[in-house]
Amino acid sequence: MKTMRLITVIAPLLLGLAGCGGGSGGDTTPPPPPPPPPPITKSEAHQFLNQATFGATALESQQVIDMRYEAWIDDQMAEPASLQLPHLQSLAAPGVMPFELQDDRVDIWFRNVLNQDDQLRQRVAFALSEIFVVSQLGTLSNQPWSLGDFYDLLAQNAFGNYRELIEAITLHPAMGVYLSMLGNEKPDPVNNIRPDENYARELMQLFSIGLVELNIDGSERLDPQGQPIPTYDQSIIEGFAHVYTGWTYANSPSFRGARPTYFNQVVPMQLYPDFHDTGPKKLLNGVVLEANRTGEQDLADALDNIFNHPNVGPFMAVRLIQRLTTSNPSPGYIERVARVFNDNGFGVRGDLGAVVKAILLDEEARPEFRMEIDGKIKEPLLRLTQLYRVYDAQSESGKYGPGFINILLGQGPLQSPSVFNFFSPFYAPPGEIRNSSLVAPELEIATEYQNTQLTNYFLLQIFVYNWMIDRNDPNSNYNEDTILINFEEEMNIANDADALVDMVADKLLGGEISDTLRGEVIGILGLIPPEDSLVRAVEAIYFISTSPEFAYQR
Amino acid sequence: MARINRRQFLKTTSAAAAFAATPGLAYSQVVGGGGPFDDYRALVCLFMFGGNDSFNMLVPRSGAAYSAYLAARSGLPENGGLAIPQADLLPISPLLGADEMDFGLHPGMSALQTLFEDGKASFVANVGPLVEPTTREQFVNGGVALPPQLFSHNDQQDQWQSLKGNATSRTGWAGRMADLIRTNVTDQQMATNASLFGTNLFQSADETIAYIMGPNGPVEFFGFSSDPNAGFGYEQRSTFERILGADYESVYERAFAEVQQRAIDSVDNVLGALRADTTPTFDGVFPTGQLGTQLRTVAQLIAANGDLQMKRQVFFVATGGFDTHDNQVADQLDLLGNISNSMAAFQAALESIGMEQQVTTFTQSDFGRTLSSNGDGSDHAWGGHQIVMGGNVNGQRIYGDYPVPEIGGLLDVGGGRFIPSTSADQYAATLARWFGIPDVDLDIVAPNLANFAERDLGFMIA
Repeated sequence: MKTMRLITVIAPLLLGLAGCGGGSGGDTTPPPPPPPPPPITKSEAHQFLNQATFGATALESQQVIDMRYEAWIDDQMAEPASLQLPHLQSLAAPGVMPFELQDDRVDIWFRNVLNQDDQLRQRVAFALSEIFVVSQLGTLSNQPWSLGDFYDLLAQNAFGNYRELIEAITLHPAMGVYLSMLGNEKPDPVNNIRPDENYARELMQLFSIGLVELNIDGSERLDPQGQPIPTYDQSIIEGFAHVYTGWTYANSPSFRGARPTYFNQVVPMQLYPDFHDTGPKKLLNGVVLEANRTGEQDLADALDNIFNHPNVGPFMAVRLIQRLTTSNPSPGYIERVARVFNDNGFGVRGDLGAVVKAILLDEEARPEFRMEIDGKIKEPLLRLTQLYRVYDAQSESGKYGPGFINILLGQGPLQSPSVFNFFSPFYAPPGEIRNSSLVAPELEIATEYQNTQLTNYFLLQIFVYNWMIDRNDPNSNYNEDTILINFEEEMNIANDADALVDMVADKLLGGEISDTLRGEVIGILGLIPPEDSLVRAVEAIYFISTSPEFAYQR
Repeated sequence: MARINRRQFLKTTSAAAAFAATPGLAYSQVVGGGGPFDDYRALVCLFMFGGNDSFNMLVPRSGAAYSAYLAARSGLPENGGLAIPQADLLPISPLLGADEMDFGLHPGMSALQTLFEDGKASFVANVGPLVEPTTREQFVNGGVALPPQLFSHNDQQDQWQSLKGNATSRTGWAGRMADLIRTNVTDQQMATNASLFGTNLFQSADETIAYIMGPNGPVEFFGFSSDPNAGFGYEQRSTFERILGADYESVYERAFAEVQQRAIDSVDNVLGALRADTTPTFDGVFPTGQLGTQLRTVAQLIAANGDLQMKRQVFFVATGGFDTHDNQVADQLDLLGNISNSMAAFQAALESIGMEQQVTTFTQSDFGRTLSSNGDGSDHAWGGHQIVMGGNVNGQRIYGDYPVPEIGGLLDVGGGRFIPSTSADQYAATLARWFGIPDVDLDIVAPNLANFAERDLGFMIA
C-alpha cells in the first residue's frame, strides 16, 4: 500500500523512528542499509587495470582499491587527452624528412601510454585505432603529422559520441588518403572514371555494421531459409561511393591539383562542389538520397543512415569488448553493452563513454565468471607496455624507440599491414579454440616466429638492457635512446628465492601465480648462486613475463 | 623423432563430419588423398599482395591487339596512360596460345623471358575466382552465383586462397591438401605447410597446422640449448618447456602454450637442417630483399628435405606493393623486376641441386587491374594472368584464353575489368593433381571445380 511503501523508503533517513506508519499489520522495520561491498583485492585491481590501462602498477592498484571501479573510471574520463601532434610539430624543421618523424610518432605514443595519467583514454584510443585503422605502411608513410593528429582525434573522442567520431574520421585526411575518399570524384564516363568504392565499402564492413545483419546480442539474423542476411549489396556501395565525392585537402588551389602539405594534412577535408556527384544515391534500409543536394547534406545523411542501422550497437560492442576484456563475450554481455550504445540511459544513442563503462563494469569482466573462456591473450604491445610500466622503462634521452616496433613485435601503433588490423575479430587458431567455435584474435600474430621473437626481445630487454648495463661497452650497442628497465628492488632481495618470486608475481601477475610456474622459477634459481643477484632477478622476471599466464589477461 | 599430432588421430571422425556438413562434398577417403609417396614434391605459392596489373606483365606486342591495348590503357605514360611502348616489350614465342596475338613481357622481366623461352615457365591467362562459368549478361542481370565482395582486397585474397565461393570456410586449399595426405606423411619432421610470410588462410586447415617461419627461417630462442651437456642453456630450455606443459585452466593459455611448444619442437629440426654442412647457402644467387630472402630459405629447406624426411611440402611466400592505384609505371618496373629476378634465381638454385623437376612454383594475386587508367594508375579488377614455373611445367605456353585487351569487349564488366575465363579452382586443381591428390579428392581441394568443364588445365607434364 502506498503509504507504507513511502514510509519504508523514508524510514532509514529518520533517526530513531521504527515501526511507524499505519497499515494493517506487517513488519514496518526499515530495511538495513546494504552492507558495504567487499574490498577489492590486489589481484582484482590488477586484473581490472590490465583491462583499463597499459599495464597494472602497484600505485594504480591502490587507487582502484581506494576508489573502487566506477569512481576510478569517472576520474579517468575527466582526464584530458595526452596528444601526439604538438610534439611532432615541434620537431618539424628544414632538412628533417617527414618519414623520419614516424619514429618520433612511435616515441610519443610510448611516452603517453607509459607515463601519462589518461590511461583509460589512451587504452580506448588504442582500441579504436585497431578498429578505425589507418597506417603508416603505404600511402601515409610521409605524413607523420596526419597520423599523429588522427590518433589524437581518437583519444579526444574516446568517451564522446560515435556519430561525431565517424564524421571526424571520415573527414580526416589521413583516412581520406588511406581509403581513397580524398580526391574521389563524381563519375566521368567519357574518361572511364567512376567513384572509388574503397571507403564506402570499408566504412560499412569494418567501422560500423559489418557484412551481415545482427541481432542485438551479436548473433547473426537468419532469413526463413536459415541463411545470414547481407547488410548491403553492390548498388548500396555505389550509392555511398557517390556520396563520398568532392572532398580533398583543405585550401587546395584546385581539386585535382590537391597535394598534402604540412598544414592541410591535419585539418578536415574540404568540399569542392563541382566534383560532388549530384545524382540520387541509394543507401541502407531503402533510403534514397535525392538528387541535387550539397556534399555536406549528402554526407550528413549518409552517416546518419549508417549510424542508425541497428547493427552498430552489437557490432561496436563486440569489437570494443574484444579489445578490452574478453575475446568471446556471451550473448548477454554483448546485448547489455549494445543496449547502452543504443541508449545510454538518457536517451542518447552512441555514447562511447557509457559503452566503455558498461564493458568494464559488467559482471562478465570480473575474474572467475566463466573460467575457461573468459579473458583474452594480451597483444604483444600490451605485454611490452606492462613490463615497461612495472619496471620503469626509460632511456637517457627520454625517447622510446625503435620506430619499427611492428617488425619486432608483430604490431606497432598505426603500423597495421592493412585496414584489417594486425588480427581479425574472427580469427580462431586451429585446435581446441576453433573446434569449440571460439575466437582468439590476438593469437593470429602469435605464430611460432612471432612468439620466439617476442620472447627473445624480452630476454634481451631484461638481461642486457637494464639499468646495470655498462654504457661504455662498445659491444652493448648502447646509446642515449636505448630503453632500460630497472629492477633494483628485485635484485635487493634476490638471495631469497621465495621473496623474489613473490615480488615478481605480485608486480606482473597481481599476486596469483600457478604452482608450476612458481616451482619452476624457484628450481632454476636454485642453480644460480645466491650472490649473483642480477642473474637471479633476470631469470625470475624472464620466466614469469614470458609465461602463458602472463600472456593471458583474465 | 616424428612429430605426431595427437589431434590428427583423435579427430578423424569429426573431420569426416565437418566435410560431410559442407554441401556437395563427400569425404571419399578418411585415410588418404594420395600416397604413400615414394617421391618428393613441393609447391611454392608466390602471392602478390595488392592485385597485380598483369595486363602490363603479359602484353600483346603487335597489330590490332597492341592498338587495342594502347587505346584501352589511355595511351602512353607521357599522355597519362599506362601502356608500355611497343618497342620496349620483350618478345616471347609461345608454343601455345599465340594464334590470335603476338606477345611480349614487361621490360623489367628479362629473366622471366629467358625462363619462358627455355620452357621452364608458362602463363595462365585471365584466371580468377569464379563459382561457375559467367558471362557478362549473367553478371549484370543475375542468374549465376558470383564470388562475394568482388574487387575487395581481403575478400579476393580469401577467394584465391580458400576457393570458398559463397560458402564460409576456415580452410584454404593447401590446408585441405595437407589434411587429405596427413596420414601418409607422419614421418615428416616439419608440417606439410610452411609459411615465410605469416599466418594465411591458404594453409589453414581443420587438422594440420602450418608452420610459420620468418624470411630467414625459424628463429631460435636465445639462451636455450637442447644438448643435455650444455649446462644452463639446457636448464633454461627445460624449465621453459615444463612451464609450457602445465595444466592451464584457460583455453587461451593452452593455445598460447601450444604455439610456444611447437616453436621449440620445430626449431631444432628445421634450423639443424638449414645449417647442415650439406645444405647449400646459395650465396649471391638471390636478389636482396624480402622475396629473394624467402625464396632462398625455401630453396635451402628443399635441399634439406631428406634430413627432415619430407615427402610433400607447400611453401607460402609473398610480397606486397601491387595495389598500384598511383605511380604505376615507375612502381611496376621494380615490382615485376623483383618477381622476375627472384623466380629465376629460385629456379637456378633448384637446378643446381637437381630438384627442378620436383618443385612447381605458381603465382596468385588478389585480382588483375582495370585496363583503364585513373590518371596514373589502375583500380581493382578481376581476371588476371598468373605464372607457373618448374621442371615439370609444360613451359613456353600460354594457357587459358587471353582476351583482347579492349574496353567494352565481351568479358568487360566495366572499365576493362575482365570476367575470368579460367577459374582459380581449375588452376588449383591442376596443381593439386600434380602434387598427388587423386582426382576424386580434387573437389575437396577445389570445391567449385565440378561447375567447370576442364578439371585439368594441362600445364603440368606429369
